[in-house]
Amino acid sequence: MRRLYLLAVTALLAAAGAACAQSLDELNIQIHGYATQGFVYTNHNNWNSMNTTDGSPAWTEAVFNVTAQPESKLRVGAQVRYFLMGDSFGNAITLDWASADYKVNDKFGIRFGKVKTPNGMYNDIQDIDPAFLWSLLPQSLYPITSRTSILAHYGAVAYGSLPLSRKAGKLEYQLYFGERVLPANDGFFVPIMESGADMPNGLTGPTSGGTLRWHLPVTGMMLGVAWDREDLTGPFQVPGVFQGNNVNSPFKIPFFFGKYEHNKFMFGSEYSRVPADHQTIVTQDLIPEAPPVGALLHNVIDHREWYAMTSYRLVDKLNVGAYYSSYFDVKAPLGLTQPNPAFYPNFSLNRYQKDWAISARYDFNPYLYLKGEQHIMKGTNFGFLDEDNTALFNNTDMTILKLGVSF
Amino acid sequence: MKKHLITFAVLLGALLVVGKSQAQVLVVANPSVKATEISKGDIRDVFTGAATTLPGGISVVPILLKAGTAQEEFLKAYIGKNETAYQAGWRSLVFSGQASMPKSLDSDAAVVEFVAHNSNAIGYIGSGSPHEGVKVLAIK
Repeated sequence: MRRLYLLAVTALLAAAGAACAQSLDELNIQIHGYATQGFVYTNHNNWNSMNTTDGSPAWTEAVFNVTAQPESKLRVGAQVRYFLMGDSFGNAITLDWASADYKVNDKFGIRFGKVKTPNGMYNDIQDIDPAFLWSLLPQSLYPITSRTSILAHYGAVAYGSLPLSRKAGKLEYQLYFGERVLPANDGFFVPIMESGADMPNGLTGPTSGGTLRWHLPVTGMMLGVAWDREDLTGPFQVPGVFQGNNVNSPFKIPFFFGKYEHNKFMFGSEYSRVPADHQTIVTQDLIPEAPPVGALLHNVIDHREWYAMTSYRLVDKLNVGAYYSSYFDVKAPLGLTQPNPAFYPNFSLNRYQKDWAISARYDFNPYLYLKGEQHIMKGTNFGFLDEDNTALFNNTDMTILKLGVSF
Repeated sequence: MKKHLITFAVLLGALLVVGKSQAQVLVVANPSVKATEISKGDIRDVFTGAATTLPGGISVVPILLKAGTAQEEFLKAYIGKNETAYQAGWRSLVFSGQASMPKSLDSDAAVVEFVAHNSNAIGYIGSGSPHEGVKVLAIK
């Protein structure tokens, strides 16, 4: 299915070019890119497979895109990304998106191919570092390690803006459907592998959802709601113990968010909940203690995630801000005992994470900027892996510096 | 006499306030743009990529200034952001595949030249700049 979407984009691009036979100028070909280099230090607990307790520069990103507009309503383009984070995440060039976008008018347009998934306040732009103040978006909703998977899907996005009455503002919508692909080497699976389990083919399946943004008649105020449904399946195994097929009940994820911007000031907040039942049917048991063939194993989760953020532009080139981010799995068992030692031999209980962050961004000029950020974290849910640490401390202070250039 | 002086001072103060509250930029468009006026909301939508048409379905293509007094005045009066925040907004659209970066030109004269010779183009210049060949849209 994903090849079909990309072939359609390629065919449309070739047909548009042949039919128009325009000069390069008239095609409005544009080339853009950006690159960032980060440095992370933690007082204890190494983070995301980097040796951050000694200070680590193993966080690099680079993006390059080319777009063309063969006619006023049609835009085509593609973007590739290099992402490196420590030893376990990235270090490869991947396709961010490749799409054809036809905009009938402001009320309706459609984009298809490999497209960014517009759910929540920031999902489709969370990896665009030049676009915002923060070095790290709140990890409760926007974990950094899954850059190739949850941010984009193969399929389409229909979008538009519907003016309401003069006293009611404007409604923006984005609806999407298609196929979600989480490759086996994606950062999404690193914690699963650390627990002793493995998903050798990753997860794939249909995805659908949408986002509605209501721009109130009060200038700068926006309220939004989004929903996301994922029906993902794939083989699941605990090597040497059992093999099975992951038959998750669909993820149905709601998002509620709002933002207010006025001159130099911004306030924003978002809440989401991820209730799910990770189900696996055992297809082969390899040791006597393993669950029997045909057994249906459940791993029930219920993540409650939210953040509140604010920022203020002190002077033209300097923007500062802060946020509080909270993540809690209300279904995670209390205490240090493992739910099923055969199922999760190295199970680590990371039931929550709370994070205070203070940020600053200085723009030297339109192309070059420097970010600094200090985090005070409690809990170890996001990015603190047992394999990187001899012992995990509950509290972590993290300092981030990031230099970025964009054109 | 004193009464006249007070009246004159009040009138002069009022004129100064009125003059200061109006942006020192003109919004100009190619003659093919079938509009004579434009609202502040529509200016913001077009020049932030939120809209590509004016009410009535009139297609427009925004043209920006790279820098200068007119650019600063325009952003302050109609966008409510400074240059850095404004560029960040466009970059979020470009790098997520939702838009192309609008053309940016170096001077008011370059903007007038481009807008005059390109259908559907709409831009902004300093209020004192010559603008032969383009139409000025009234702000409503």
